[in-house]
Amino acid sequence: MLRIGTLTARLVAVAVVWIGAALVAGGFLLAALFEAHVDRAFDRRLDTLLEALVAVTDADTGAKGVIRVLGPQGDPRFNQPYSGLYWQINQGRKIRLASRSLWDKTLTLKDVPAVSNTEGVPVRRYEAVGPRVQRLRVIERDITLDEAGPVLRYAVAGDLAQVDAEFRPFMVTLIWSLSVLGIGLITAVMIQVYIGLRPLDHLREALGRVRAGGAERLEGDFPSEVRPLVDEANQLISHIGEVVERARTHVGNLAHALKTPLSVLANEADRGEGPLAEAVSRETAAMQQRIDHHLARARTAATAGVLGQRAELAPVVDGLGRALRKMYEDKGLAIEIICNGEGPRGALAFRGDAHDLEEMLGNLMENACKWATTRVRITAAPSADGRLRITVEDDGPGLKPDERAVVLARGKRLDETVPGSGLGLAIVSEIAGLYDGGLSLDTAALGGLSATLDLPQAVG
Amino acid sequence: MRILVVEDDPGIAGQLVRALEDGGYTVDQASDGEEGYFLGDTEPYDAVVLDLGLPVLDGITVLERWRSDGKTMPVLILTARDRWREKVAGFDAGADDYVAKPFQMEELLARLRALIRRSAGLASAVIECGPLAIDTRSARVSLNGEQVKLTAHEYKLIVYLAHERGRVVSRTELTEHIYDQDFDRDSNTIEVFVGRLRRKLGNDVIVTERGLGYRLIDAETRPDDSA
Repeated sequence: MLRIGTLTARLVAVAVVWIGAALVAGGFLLAALFEAHVDRAFDRRLDTLLEALVAVTDADTGAKGVIRVLGPQGDPRFNQPYSGLYWQINQGRKIRLASRSLWDKTLTLKDVPAVSNTEGVPVRRYEAVGPRVQRLRVIERDITLDEAGPVLRYAVAGDLAQVDAEFRPFMVTLIWSLSVLGIGLITAVMIQVYIGLRPLDHLREALGRVRAGGAERLEGDFPSEVRPLVDEANQLISHIGEVVERARTHVGNLAHALKTPLSVLANEADRGEGPLAEAVSRETAAMQQRIDHHLARARTAATAGVLGQRAELAPVVDGLGRALRKMYEDKGLAIEIICNGEGPRGALAFRGDAHDLEEMLGNLMENACKWATTRVRITAAPSADGRLRITVEDDGPGLKPDERAVVLARGKRLDETVPGSGLGLAIVSEIAGLYDGGLSLDTAALGGLSATLDLPQAVG
Repeated sequence: MRILVVEDDPGIAGQLVRALEDGGYTVDQASDGEEGYFLGDTEPYDAVVLDLGLPVLDGITVLERWRSDGKTMPVLILTARDRWREKVAGFDAGADDYVAKPFQMEELLARLRALIRRSAGLASAVIECGPLAIDTRSARVSLNGEQVKLTAHEYKLIVYLAHERGRVVSRTELTEHIYDQDFDRDSNTIEVFVGRLRRKLGNDVIVTERGLGYRLIDAETRPDDSA
């Protein structure tokens, strides 16, 4: 779930804190309200028992008259010893009569200020310690049984454990249900965050496709909040492409501007004689080499690593094949092209700039045609590790292992007499390197040189 | 052999014209695409050296127009645009060879010779025809192994006939391929050159087909057998 890292974690964490706090506060409030309700109900019951007791007691007139209980006392527990429900009738400090449940103990009545009960009758209400050290709730009223008689203090006491006994299951239920509610809410928040942030996931996938060369721009439906970001990114991608193209055009213009005067100089020098002509000849050749090398590098360095690039292999190889068949028409070479893509052959594509692919393959294929006696074979296939592998073989003389290293060294040419740019395999190796690829040389099955390009493959 | 050079840079164009004339070719020059297209479309050239970055009309367009007009002369593209995409586009437009600037004049001449030879269906740079051997690389002609000194015009005539070996070539055609466009053409001078060539190479080397023109003797025919 936490696939977008801190963003999801933050949203969920805030929700957990907020839901937790709300549920705990709500729980305390509910508990307090219920406890007060249970408490009041207990008080009312004790009050009712007290009234019933008053109704069944009778007293002889006079201060020393006998007080008698004439009927049932409203609750059988008054007769069970230490049952938790007691009554006691005092006259001042003196105990006149007490419930059987008190047995040999007494209640200690307290002189607290009277308060009004629900019916507006003044009562004293306090807690006391019972015969078995229980916490008791005492409700006490001053009763005068007849006008001349003394004021009697009727006290009824109940064990507060009864309140707890009613309250505890409620608390258990409350905690349990609030926990379920909390877990439910947090799950809902996580689902909401996941669904809400899914466009960002899609954005990341779209960017991944662009980076892998599967798409040239970010594609897909995005909500209006993310849409501007996607549009900006797309504009940026196409802007980079334009900048690269512009830079390449400038580089090309510079090349054209330099090469024509260089040609004039070199050809003039070739016609002339003497040390000046020789120096011009030598230096123009060096300038040409350096311009070629650095322009090739600059063109490539400007494009390697640009997002959203993809070059289909088959059209490039076919075009180069057409050109080379014409260039080497005299040799009557058989140029064989095998593009083993999965499915249609167009499926093979290079993750990079088409110009760079053309330069690499063009140089390799031209080199092969230059040295081949009858045959050149180009084989392209995806490798087991998902990269693009292109092998160019010829049936020429090939290269010895120690010559292969030399030929890959920058700007070196083994045979200076065979015309060519002089950069050939070295620049191919350099361009491939810029794409984290490589060029390796081996002996071909056809007998000559086998040059294998290892390049990133565009997928999708 | 008449060559058209379409090149806007005067430095390169001057060098090319000089080198080609030294190599025994007749050369016309155009300095923009429009003029180049017109010349190539109306004059019978044996080969064209074409720059790509031309004013008015781009080189590729010029080439494509020639090809769609049915012009089949070999075209060598000479350009500073050396990327493979441009090379492929050049060949796809109908080019026969592609040389990138800066170039070596020797290499360009060799490639041009090869193009002309290929379009004439010849295998070697040395054209042998009975006792006659014409080395197109050095513009030298030898008869029975002995070198014969020829003037530029005489060489141009014998080389053209050699490339069209076995075919009767009219005097008009010879004039068109030997003189550039500015020359005041007079087909009578052809007869003068043929006469001089016969004196230097022997009467049998060039056969006159009455009313049609001239042809070089067949390679298989002994000089003695010909009429």
